[in-house]
Amino acid sequence: MMKPEEILTLVAAARGTAICVPTMTTSPAWRTIAPDDLSVGCVGFMGGASALGLGLALGAPDRRVIVFDGDGSLLMQLGSLATIAGAAPRNFTHLLFKNGVYHTSGSQETPGGQGVDFAAMAKAAGYRSTCTITSLDEFKKRLPGLLSEEGPIMAQLITGLAGSTPMNSPPGTPFHQQVANVKAQVGQKSA
Amino acid sequence: MPESVPSSLIIDVFKEIFQAERRGGKRQDPLGWIISVPDTHQKSVLAALDKERSLRVLTCSTEDDANAVAAGLYMTGEPVIVMIQHAGLYASVNTIRGISMDGKVPIFYMIGLLSREKDKDPKDSRHSMVRFAEPLLDVFSIPHARMEGPDDVKLIPEYYRKSRERKGPAAVLVGLETA
Repeated sequence: MMKPEEILTLVAAARGTAICVPTMTTSPAWRTIAPDDLSVGCVGFMGGASALGLGLALGAPDRRVIVFDGDGSLLMQLGSLATIAGAAPRNFTHLLFKNGVYHTSGSQETPGGQGVDFAAMAKAAGYRSTCTITSLDEFKKRLPGLLSEEGPIMAQLITGLAGSTPMNSPPGTPFHQQVANVKAQVGQKSA
Repeated sequence: MPESVPSSLIIDVFKEIFQAERRGGKRQDPLGWIISVPDTHQKSVLAALDKERSLRVLTCSTEDDANAVAAGLYMTGEPVIVMIQHAGLYASVNTIRGISMDGKVPIFYMIGLLSREKDKDPKDSRHSMVRFAEPLLDVFSIPHARMEGPDDVKLIPEYYRKSRERKGPAAVLVGLETA
């Protein structure tokens, strides 16, 4: 079973100038692996990571945007798959970390658990390409394409649990400061 | 008595706002973004926007999506207006709180008061969805004003500016269905 931290470490090494949007249990690990100003976490509005990433992708078409979504998170705003497919951002990569549980609140099974196929849902919604990845070797092979091919792309990643959750980790940079940091790095073109 | 506001007036004001935001900027296309979950009350505006090549309209599945997309666009320097209905305001309260208030993201909303009776103040409406919109905005200390006729289009740039100045949400409620 892939560990989320292993996946994130590979993404950090390959991301280039990409803006990253972690949420829930990928957030603490990503803060350690990539403590930078080109990431903005979805904190306090569970489910919003994919739509936040969509806005970033539409506004910064010259950069790749990578969303680290969770299965429980995406279920909260599942309609975003159609919103994203409709907008069709070519620079959008949706990494769906699927562990089948709400890790943060005590690992209760998500509705449908591991049986829910988010890659199939994304494909049916109109994503340009989707895949399911179950091993780190396969992820390594596919990563360059995931970060360069035309989006919207979804990779459903079958993973184990992260080593920490937002509830047992030190707080990161406040959300409003993350917003200000990304705005300062990316959003000065209209100023 | 309140009056309907013509869509052309509203769209002209949108363009003026976006032109001011874009002045001196590298990116000019689109002039600005309208993020919408279609509102029956503002359908004439949405229909007219379909013909506007300089503005990009993105229809979202939910108001939660609309808020998050608007925030992402803001972070990249793009000018945005969100058009929703009062029911969408109720549906997306947590996202407005989390993104626009806690995240200090300026988001300006046009909120349609569908079913508002022409001869009644919204607080006296027999429809709960009309009655509760303004009190809900008050609970969250979100600045708002009601557009009750063509002269009130000036409220749109005023409250757009307020959202920018306070780095948070601000709203204009559309009193009667647009013309």
